[in-house]
Amino acid sequence: MTNVKATRPEVVVPMSTEQQTRPAVGGRPVVSVRDVDKVYGNGTVALKGVNLTVKEGEFVSLLGPSGCGKSTLLRLMAGLGDVSAGKVSWWEQDYNVVGHKGRKLAFVFQNATLMPWARVRKNVRLPLDLNREKGPETEQRIDQALDMVGLNKFGDAYPRELSGGMQMRVSIARAMVTEPNLLLMDEPFGALDEMTRNKLNDDLLRLWKANGWTVVFVTHSVYEAVYLSNRVVVMAARPGRVIEDVPIEAPYPRGQEFRVSTEFAGYCRRVSEALEVASRQGEEAK
Amino acid sequence: MKSPLLENERFVQIAAPVFVGVVFLLLWEAVVRATGTPVYILPGPLDIAKAFVADWAVLFHSLLMTLKVTLMAFAISVVLGTAASLLFVQSRWIEVSLFPYAVLMQVTPIVAIAPLIIIWVDDTTWALTVCAVIIAIFPIISNTTLGLRSVDPNLLSMFRMYRTGRLQQLIRLRIPSALPYFFGGMRISTGLALIGAVVAEFVAGTGGTQAGLAYLILQSGYNLNIPRMFAALGLITLTGIILFALMVWLSDRVLRNWHESALKVEQ
Repeated sequence: MTNVKATRPEVVVPMSTEQQTRPAVGGRPVVSVRDVDKVYGNGTVALKGVNLTVKEGEFVSLLGPSGCGKSTLLRLMAGLGDVSAGKVSWWEQDYNVVGHKGRKLAFVFQNATLMPWARVRKNVRLPLDLNREKGPETEQRIDQALDMVGLNKFGDAYPRELSGGMQMRVSIARAMVTEPNLLLMDEPFGALDEMTRNKLNDDLLRLWKANGWTVVFVTHSVYEAVYLSNRVVVMAARPGRVIEDVPIEAPYPRGQEFRVSTEFAGYCRRVSEALEVASRQGEEAK
Repeated sequence: MKSPLLENERFVQIAAPVFVGVVFLLLWEAVVRATGTPVYILPGPLDIAKAFVADWAVLFHSLLMTLKVTLMAFAISVVLGTAASLLFVQSRWIEVSLFPYAVLMQVTPIVAIAPLIIIWVDDTTWALTVCAVIIAIFPIISNTTLGLRSVDPNLLSMFRMYRTGRLQQLIRLRIPSALPYFFGGMRISTGLALIGAVVAEFVAGTGGTQAGLAYLILQSGYNLNIPRMFAALGLITLTGIILFALMVWLSDRVLRNWHESALKVEQ
């Protein structure tokens, strides 16, 4: 991984949109899921024969009806829980080889999942504490992370003093502080109002671009998936499986114009249709 | 007509119950005087107040004795109860094997086992303390265990992702999550420690210099010194209220920054 920090922001701005649109070409697989089944103890088949490779620099959304196993898949990508069959690998290697630190992975949960008893700063530094990283350099990283989500004035606040959107940004700062390569997000903005959600979507794209992350993003919303991603993976339920992989080739940076463009509407229609098929298949399987 | 004082929420909160209390005491005094009820059946509030002043030395000495047992029992309950909870959450096996015995201890009436304990433990103060601990420890154990288990599952996932050890998990996650439950347990436990101390003393019937408020009540009953009996009773109640208020204050101090129970919500 190149040192993105040093090249930011001067290099990021002139970076051609081509490069940003199709970083998958020639990109290394960051995480790959091969023939994975996941069966829970009670017999529920959450995933069946899932294959998915996410390459460096990609922004991939997992979209599907409830119960299609998208969150389960994301958790497996985080190494939370074991697969029943198949294999998940990071940087083309087994977990035993890369270990947690080697994966350079961060997870953002559905709710902000902050420790209510700790101030914002303490919450953001949690991953560093858990990795036993100390020193003045870590303080700097916390400052940077808070800066990037625009919360540098709120380091001493308690989570409950912040709005839902701000809490979510703390959660993102906490993910950023470890300087991850792979960011896994489980419906992070699902509980927020649309205005806040759009704002955070734009923030996320900006940070993704600036830091050269690879993102896997679980969502319910067709619009959110199309707006953010360069690939939308549509899943169906019973059993949870991937049924379509829709590339979104619109260039970045995307903004308000993209949201109202016919291109956007076209992609949304395509993804909605795929989702429709997924829902129908799930219903039939009931 | 509205006075501004009556619109002050705090003033009303204090003044209203005090007003009810004063009215009650006045009625009591009036009824006792009107019916000419003898003091050894039902003394009026004035008689009780007189006894309070006259017998203050005895009352205070007894209060200290009861308070000593109560506080010792409470402290031991907090320490042992917390230790037991920490042990329980370490392994499902330990909890499953031992928790029923904690319940057993709780449901056995203290009055029934107090005589045994008084026989077994030589020192009276310790015997009373043991009795009080037996009933005061349970809320600490059950609440703290519940709290240590009530951890945000997503935060726990995060700790798992970082392959965090048990000790880190305990210190950073489980103990802070358990604090509100722990303080809830303490509130109940102080009251039970006091009840335990009084009940055990009733059973033990210890006199002499070791005598606490319970013995004073017994003795006053034998002597038909009903005003002093009421005074001792009043002191026990007052002690209970003060201990409870202290616990509320303490939990408020610790939790006020983050926990819902300690938040002041403006309507």
